[in-house]
Amino acid sequence: MKTLQWFMTVCEYLGGSRDELPGAPGGQAGKHAGTTSQSMPWWLGLWWGLLLGAILLFCGQTSKFIYIDF
Amino acid sequence: MIFNTLAYFALFLLPAAILFRRVRPTVQPWICLAFGAGFFIFFSLTQVGGKAGAICLLIFIWESIFSRFYKQGSILCIIGIIQTLLFLIVFKYWNFLTGLLFKSTGHNPLAWSGAFLPLGISFFTFEFIHYAVDRYRGKTPAGRFSEYLAFILFFPTMVAGPIKRYQDFLPKLVNPSREWRLDWRQGITRILSGLAKKFVVADLLTAFTNHLNRADIAQAQRWVLPIWLFAYGMKIYFDFSAYSDIAIGSARLFGIKVPENFDWPYLRTNIAEFWKHWHMSLYRWLVDYVFIPLGGSRVNPSRVYLNILITMFLSGLWHGAGLNFIVWGLWHGTLLVIHRLWTAWREGSLMQFSKTSPTLGLWPLVATVSGDGVQTIPAILYSGTIRQSPSAPVTPAENSPRSTHESVTVGEISEPAEETVGASAPRKNRPPSLGGKLVSWALTFIMVNLGWAFFCMDLPTSLFFLRRLFFG
Repeated sequence: MKTLQWFMTVCEYLGGSRDELPGAPGGQAGKHAGTTSQSMPWWLGLWWGLLLGAILLFCGQTSKFIYIDF
Repeated sequence: MIFNTLAYFALFLLPAAILFRRVRPTVQPWICLAFGAGFFIFFSLTQVGGKAGAICLLIFIWESIFSRFYKQGSILCIIGIIQTLLFLIVFKYWNFLTGLLFKSTGHNPLAWSGAFLPLGISFFTFEFIHYAVDRYRGKTPAGRFSEYLAFILFFPTMVAGPIKRYQDFLPKLVNPSREWRLDWRQGITRILSGLAKKFVVADLLTAFTNHLNRADIAQAQRWVLPIWLFAYGMKIYFDFSAYSDIAIGSARLFGIKVPENFDWPYLRTNIAEFWKHWHMSLYRWLVDYVFIPLGGSRVNPSRVYLNILITMFLSGLWHGAGLNFIVWGLWHGTLLVIHRLWTAWREGSLMQFSKTSPTLGLWPLVATVSGDGVQTIPAILYSGTIRQSPSAPVTPAENSPRSTHESVTVGEISEPAEETVGASAPRKNRPPSLGGKLVSWALTFIMVNLGWAFFCMDLPTSLFFLRRLFFG
């Protein structure tokens, strides 16, 4: 369960809903754990690139959001 | 569309967020309201309602002027609530209600053929009502005219939430975060992940959900039907949470944190927990402005069940002007009532059981309302009960300023903590077994997804779907 919770926290961090990078599943602090550093980790640029690539690849099929004026 | 258009980012979000950071604090609300008005007019003209839709900006201006007269205990607050509801009823429910009125005749002479929905009316109605009610109760400051306009015209949340509260928003508007690097880093990450969720997952699932129509359902093999329904359940989650991500990320660019809307709802192990983590800003609004005024859970049990059903009925009706939405709301209301009945029954039966079984004397302590670890068959089948362990990380909702006030729930529907559940002594939680958790999760997931049948199809089609699903 701890691993699941850790995984969820990592997803939240990668999704931008959590400011702090979580530590390792067993409680051991990661390199950036517990920091809300103003500097941008190098891999975040990579992550943005991946997201942008996926967005560009799939944006042709977009449709209306369900919750707008349903 | 809107959030997935270039116009949103190029014409509104980036210029507004940059300007907002640059100008003096006294000018910041004016930036919000100027861009909010421009946003409303632009997207009304290009996407919803046309010129008539754009003119509905006057509703915001009228509501803002009127709200200046709100005072604690004033009748004007009540008039404000009524007029807000009237706007919603006329624009959203006119044809539905008059259609019901003349259903027997087969012709509706009062039908409004050019009916349209002003952009975001379903959502800004909530914020108007919240402000009127809280001013009436004396729970929110009046604020300046510009600040109130900035609150209701704050375009990242205008169209589909998250639903804000004025008393939470005002301090953030007046004193936004100055950590602009962090805000932009997180805001951009949130927006990108929202867009990716929408484009890559939600829109891809449309290939499955497009089949949810009578003709395809009639022809499909039976085993395909649950796949289509689960696909819709996933699509609506990814679609709406993507929207919320973009809205929250956009607000973050201004240095303003708005409420969260989702917190892993599909991983919850009972229906009450599901509702605590699905469309959270709506859920909290319903609790504060519908359930509690109806009497909440401080009244006798049968009345509590009625309150739950009324609340969920209104939730369904708000989601759309159609009988299927009402049935969807009642479906969830019924599940919440069953959850509450089950919780109460199990608590009672365990107390009884422990009296006759000395070796199990500690069970009442263990079997809490969160009832974890109770290994009777029904308990495993319905753990309306399993809650996260105390060591679970604090969720964004729990972290929000309102969390001290809204700790409980709608099956226990949420209410101020002091009035709820814990009439008995503090209870200890015993960790639930993995099997029990899995069964509870699966049951909750299936029930929620069955409910989507009513949400995504009209009533006859959804009944036809369920008949085919269960009886072939």
